[in-house]
Amino acid sequence: MLIMRHELLLVAILVILLLVEIFLPEKHKHRIIPLAIILMGVVTALGFIPGPTGSLFGGMYSTSNLVLIMKNILNIGTLVIFIQSAEWLKKDENREKISEYFIVLLSSLIGMFYMISSGDFLMFYLGLELATIPVAAAAAFERFKEKSAEAGVKLIFMSALSSGILLYGISMIYGTIGTMYFQDVAPKFTGSSLQVIAFIFFFAGMAFKISLVPFHLWAADVYEGAPINVTSYLSVVSKGAAVFILMILLYTVFTKIALMWRDVVYIIAILTMTVGNLFAMRQRNIKRFLAFSSISQAGFILLGIIGQSQLGMTTVIYFVLIYLFSNLGAFGVATAISNKTGKETIDDYDGFYRTNPLLSLAMMLSLFSLAGIPPLAGFFGKFFLFTAAAKQGLFILIVIAVLNTIISLYYYLLVIKAMFLNKSDQPIAYFKSDFYTRLGLLICSAGIIIIGFASPIYEWILQLSHGLIY
Amino acid sequence: MTNYQFMFFLLSAIIIIFSILTVTTRRILRAATFLLFVLVATAGLYFMLRFNFLAAIQLTLYAGGIVVLIIFSVLLTSHISQKLEKASISKRILAAIAAIAGAVLCIITILATEFPTVTPNPPETDIHTIGQALLSTDKFGYSLPFEVISILLLAAMIGSIIIAKKRKD
Amino acid sequence: MFEGIPLTWFLILATIMFFIGIYGFLIRKNLITILMSLELVLNSVNINFVAFNKLLYPEHLEGMFFTVFVVAVAAAEASVAIAIIINIYRRLDKIDVENIDEMKY
Repeated sequence: MLIMRHELLLVAILVILLLVEIFLPEKHKHRIIPLAIILMGVVTALGFIPGPTGSLFGGMYSTSNLVLIMKNILNIGTLVIFIQSAEWLKKDENREKISEYFIVLLSSLIGMFYMISSGDFLMFYLGLELATIPVAAAAAFERFKEKSAEAGVKLIFMSALSSGILLYGISMIYGTIGTMYFQDVAPKFTGSSLQVIAFIFFFAGMAFKISLVPFHLWAADVYEGAPINVTSYLSVVSKGAAVFILMILLYTVFTKIALMWRDVVYIIAILTMTVGNLFAMRQRNIKRFLAFSSISQAGFILLGIIGQSQLGMTTVIYFVLIYLFSNLGAFGVATAISNKTGKETIDDYDGFYRTNPLLSLAMMLSLFSLAGIPPLAGFFGKFFLFTAAAKQGLFILIVIAVLNTIISLYYYLLVIKAMFLNKSDQPIAYFKSDFYTRLGLLICSAGIIIIGFASPIYEWILQLSHGLIY
Repeated sequence: MTNYQFMFFLLSAIIIIFSILTVTTRRILRAATFLLFVLVATAGLYFMLRFNFLAAIQLTLYAGGIVVLIIFSVLLTSHISQKLEKASISKRILAAIAAIAGAVLCIITILATEFPTVTPNPPETDIHTIGQALLSTDKFGYSLPFEVISILLLAAMIGSIIIAKKRKD
Repeated sequence: MFEGIPLTWFLILATIMFFIGIYGFLIRKNLITILMSLELVLNSVNINFVAFNKLLYPEHLEGMFFTVFVVAVAAAEASVAIAIIINIYRRLDKIDVENIDEMKY
């Protein structure tokens, strides 16, 4: 029972919110926002209490301490997004669906948890679908904006197509091996040609979900059209969960054909970093800009995965943690501006520092961390990823990655330049953001700075990653 | 040719022909009907393989549920006499080349693979075994996926309602 | 072999159907027809699972249960997709891909 505590706690919140939604009178509906945030905060805190790990349901569900860290990271991300959504949810047009918003995102989070701790392909598939279908509904949330519906429909069609491709791969794995339990599948990989085809289908399906190049084209449109909080959820929490499960599967299930998938991941990593960067440079809309920059960040994450070592695993988790705070910080500022003024292009940010210095500083901190400038957390994240790759002797890859870091520095600086140096006749006027927005940004900025200086966090993850292969 | 082989050829001919028609016809309601034929023929395959429970699910849920849902939304959103636009020739040729190349690649690999041979006459799968497995918590039991899919259906239901419901004015 | 039908026949049937679905997904413009193509894709995968289950590994019902759950998920997916499509129709009176910007794959 306690082994599954993360999921059960989330289900409990979901039920509480459903009941509250039914019994709360219409005029008190806005009270659901603090309730949901507090409950999520409690669950996040409870998640850190150490407890039993192991496997349940005949191996269909299994956790280890490392999986628990991943779940805690995703919990934190969702909590920050809940906090950041408060201001947007208080708007009149969203009032009647506050609790639905939380329920949809929570069920998607439950799906991710089941996906990460799945012990066979059926649970993996169900978790994946539970993680995507509700988010598609959330992306189409703003019923009175065409772009939002477009984002929803694209997201659900692309996710259905990618799960179709993924399922074809899984069916071939089942056909050649005869079972779907990971622990039984892993030793039986022989690398026959049908299994190679199966793996390629499987990987293509996952690449769609993580939006790796060349399967990334849907991402920018979805990210632009969806409500900005859903965009940050998609690009941080969804992507983080998908990266985690891809890493777990590559390390535990597909270990026997590691020589093959390393080449595939190698090429995809280079493509994703470079193409993501080149596209990011050309974007003027801040959501599209952050979307492409997060595609390129996913390429860096693959760098750690190729290492196929305990070190690689640690650095990937550490990097996702930092990426979460940095990206959510940037999205938080963009959300605040979009909520108050409706402006979403980079040109609108001209002269922003003069009118709103604190928000500009928070944005600068996040973007510097995303770019990887010392002494912020992002620098250590990238540095450790490069070290993990260097241990494997992948020096060409590292050179390309460093070049890409420099390119990304250029376009992150463009945004910062717009805010601090560019002059504008009509800068965004000063506005006072509400308590929730400030709290969210405070958490993100604190995360960026503290994780950069606190080596114990890294040591702690490294220590836990010993017991991964279950 | 045995009766089973004949049935298989009949059903797969129905499946393939109507699949192609589903994706090429220019009348949307016909496409939905052809999809229904494909799904019913698939249920026939399941019956042939003696998965009666699965075939019943296929008929009620897929053919009865999803296709009816699709037909309803077709009727809501299109005029029956309206013809669909055709995709441009170049796009169709490119898509066809991609699909045929993928299919040929997969079929060649399948033909080249040797699958293990097993007992020719597998046992019947009766409803009792299925019910036991669906609620069992041991290995090869499916109570956890059963619960997870209920959350999925709940979330999908709530999601659909908030998107499609009309504004209270 | 099942009553004189080799496994590969089932797999080839499923593969052809799978790629017909992919073809439909690539060329179709109306959103509902795209949804139909996706149903074809999912359905073809189910044939694979069932055939493997019956012909190769009949001692457990893993493939059959996988199919049951895929069908249920497909239903959930279709319901959300159709809700969004109807929403688009209410706003735009059309449900072709061109009307909702250009879909870039």
